[in-house]
Amino acid sequence: MKFIIDRFDGKKNYQQTYTVEKKDIEALTLLGTLLFIKQHQDITLNFTASCRMAICGACGVRVNGHSYLGCDTKMTELFEAYKDADTFRISPLANYTVISDLAVDWEPAIENLRKIKPGLVAKDKFSEKEGCVQNQEEYDRIVKQWDCVLCGCCASECNKLSADRSDYMEPFVYTQAWRVANDSRSKDPMIHVKPAVLNGLWNCVHCHECSNRCPKHISSADDIAGLRALAMKKGLNSGVGPAHAKSFYTDLVEDSGRLNEIRLALRTEGVSTALRAGTAITLMRAGKMNPLEIFGGHTIEGHKDLVKMIEAAKAANKE
Amino acid sequence: MSEQFTRREFLQSACITMGALAVSTTGVEKAFAASSTSTPNSSGMPTCDVLIIGSGAAGLRAAVAARKKNPNLSVVVVSKVMPTRSATTMAEGGINGVIDFSEGDSFELHAKDTVKGGDFLVDQDTAMKFATYAGAAIHELDYIGMPFSRDSKGNVDKRYAGGASKIRCNFAEDKTGHILTHTCLDDALKNGVKFLMDHHMLDLSIENGHCEGVVLRNIRTGDIAPVRAKSVVLATGGYTRVFWNRTSTPYIATGDGAAAALRAGLIFKDPEMLQFHPTGVCHGGTLITEAARGEGGILLNNLGERFMKRYVPNKMELAPRDIVARSIETEIREGRGYGHDMEAYVLLDVTHLGKEKIMKNLPQIRHIGMLFENMDLVEKPIAIRPTAHYSMGGIHVTSLDTMATPAPGLFAAGEAACVSIHGANRLGGNSLCDATVTGKIAGINAAEYAAKAGFGAGKRLNDLTLKWTSHFKEITGSGKGNVNDMYALREELGAANWYNMGIFRTESKLLALADKHAEFQARYDAIRIPNTNPVFNTAYTEYVELGNLLLASRAALMGATARKESRGSHFREDYLKRDDANFLKHSMVTMDEKGQMHLDWKDVVVGQFKIEERKY
Repeated sequence: MKFIIDRFDGKKNYQQTYTVEKKDIEALTLLGTLLFIKQHQDITLNFTASCRMAICGACGVRVNGHSYLGCDTKMTELFEAYKDADTFRISPLANYTVISDLAVDWEPAIENLRKIKPGLVAKDKFSEKEGCVQNQEEYDRIVKQWDCVLCGCCASECNKLSADRSDYMEPFVYTQAWRVANDSRSKDPMIHVKPAVLNGLWNCVHCHECSNRCPKHISSADDIAGLRALAMKKGLNSGVGPAHAKSFYTDLVEDSGRLNEIRLALRTEGVSTALRAGTAITLMRAGKMNPLEIFGGHTIEGHKDLVKMIEAAKAANKE
Repeated sequence: MSEQFTRREFLQSACITMGALAVSTTGVEKAFAASSTSTPNSSGMPTCDVLIIGSGAAGLRAAVAARKKNPNLSVVVVSKVMPTRSATTMAEGGINGVIDFSEGDSFELHAKDTVKGGDFLVDQDTAMKFATYAGAAIHELDYIGMPFSRDSKGNVDKRYAGGASKIRCNFAEDKTGHILTHTCLDDALKNGVKFLMDHHMLDLSIENGHCEGVVLRNIRTGDIAPVRAKSVVLATGGYTRVFWNRTSTPYIATGDGAAAALRAGLIFKDPEMLQFHPTGVCHGGTLITEAARGEGGILLNNLGERFMKRYVPNKMELAPRDIVARSIETEIREGRGYGHDMEAYVLLDVTHLGKEKIMKNLPQIRHIGMLFENMDLVEKPIAIRPTAHYSMGGIHVTSLDTMATPAPGLFAAGEAACVSIHGANRLGGNSLCDATVTGKIAGINAAEYAAKAGFGAGKRLNDLTLKWTSHFKEITGSGKGNVNDMYALREELGAANWYNMGIFRTESKLLALADKHAEFQARYDAIRIPNTNPVFNTAYTEYVELGNLLLASRAALMGATARKESRGSHFREDYLKRDDANFLKHSMVTMDEKGQMHLDWKDVVVGQFKIEERKY
């Protein structure tokens, strides 16, 4: 069977095909296969690996465009997922600068982590001498996010980063901001929430690809939602993102229960929305948007129940 | 629009906004430019006040401690990899430290257990101080954000660890090491520690007895450069990779620090003390933790016999690590195992526990069985064999008060260092507190030293750099060589060390190994790497690492041959008894300029704990 690997030697990109007997690798992991190729066929092939037991996060790569943690993926899983294909394409994680072959540059990601101040600032009642106190419930609230091994699989899948990474950070950075902001020992969640807001929190496009591919089953998308809710609760509710979110809420609860796209645009971006008039006209012509709905539309069926549910969720959240 | 337009492409195009891709600069210059407050140097060499090699828990704690001690100093952590890829993340069980005195536990009891567990090769004054610091370290870790599992009162929870007389192993589920490492990284970022990733320390320069800096290779570019530092902390981890395929530690733990220290003329203390864990997976040595036996797992030989009844009938599978490991190896040696040579194994069976219990209590272990042995331990017993786990030996450090080596300006911490806490056998739960405690002390003292010291001249450092630059050219320059030469040698070294210096040692096997080492060294020197590209040449990195492993193997062999007794993990079949009259002392290995190794001894410090027989 064949492995087409994306190579980069520091100057040029190229692809290289390696032919491997299936029997040699079918009992191995994806990392095992890479090691097999390096140690038997091509010593110049570069990738990173360390613990080989899915805890250090060093060996994230892409297979056929999707990210995998190399040591945590059995070849048999890949055979199954790709219906016994006999050719696999292996590439470095997307949305990172490639240093060589499958090895990517982690420095910008570390600098992004630095921005959200992941170190806990404990409440004044706690001390270095006596530590902290935390009950099981408070511990359970944050412990899932602590499974993050910084493998970068989520960032590789992130559509927002692919489109433009100048105003956004790797999804795991928000996850780490959330785990410390949401920690009951934390003195002030805003120490971490504020820099998250200033560094692209509202730019997530909700595609949920980060959650789909996390080898540890963490949902950065949910963590981003958590951070957004916390930001608004703490008064960081001006600007396009929060206005957009509030507009959804108003339509759902106070209005018809149907999203009003014209009002959404107006509420979110104000009059500057006129810049998008062209898009709106195209949509209207295509019958996708009814201009009369600016005055409100028909209330959806079961709207009362919907409002009840939202109110109940709000009440539960306050407790 | 093409019909191939997928959902992902739609999303990507939908969210394109104005803005250029962020461009990042990398490398030595940036790390130093951002943090260096030191005096500019005429030689053009990068400089740094406190340089820390290694980004595991010890390195990260050292960095934070140095920053806190003196915020005016530049502190840079150098790592072959991204921080958090270290062996520390792989620790599972927990971290020892007494924080609850209500059940009669005390620092003294922790120290006593440590001394006894180490088969009395522990410096007792050190063990006592260590136990005190370990208790404080737990609270500090909690305070800086480590999410420990909690008891009903909301305090740090604890579990039992092997060899402990009280329950004092604090934990965060079964991933304490991972969580501790990430806590330490967070704290390092908070305290403004700078990182130099993808940099490999090739050598360490000692001139006129003082440490003047290190030679670094930027793996990304291939540039080999001297870096002068006022003080250096070696936190490079252990060297159990000398048993290549029979160890639980990561690929990167190749004893680079210990080897560099040896080459620089420093002392490698107790190098023969390498700990074995009884249950690693047969292929690759990853750990199946004690939890499997704790839950009721049994060991079976190829006759289907529960063979532990032959060795420790009253404790069976729950006997101490070293005894279970020796029992398994005996079965394999006497033909009652499966497979042959390095592929030999016995079975660990948990199937009788039932699917429900396995899924609930041993999910990680089941996952590891699937990954490495293609075995679902719900259905079938899993193939296991003992695996090297921890190096008690390391760079000689004069005292736990400073973690300083005899060379002013050079400090060591964590598994790379040997300040004689673990003696001949480390207790479960003592490694994480070793890394945390010794890392912090090394950092504080490195900062104190750097504040008073100046930079060395860097002459020898320059010479070493030139030597390594030409070495790289020599090894890779021709582009010739067989792809498999180095990897085959690495496996052969591992197997030879395992069979001759592994769980069972004898004079004749050790002497045979010495010949092997000489042969390996000659083969190693002749290896050429068929990759001329300096950019991220990981093959060259692995070549250097293999050289370090060879050096560590030779030092360990020297200690193992000279120590004619059995003590802790060092088990000599020709000297079955512990011999306190002659060997209650540390082996101290050094190497001269010609590469000859020498052995000296240093007495163990005995304190309040009486030397007695270690009984199980």
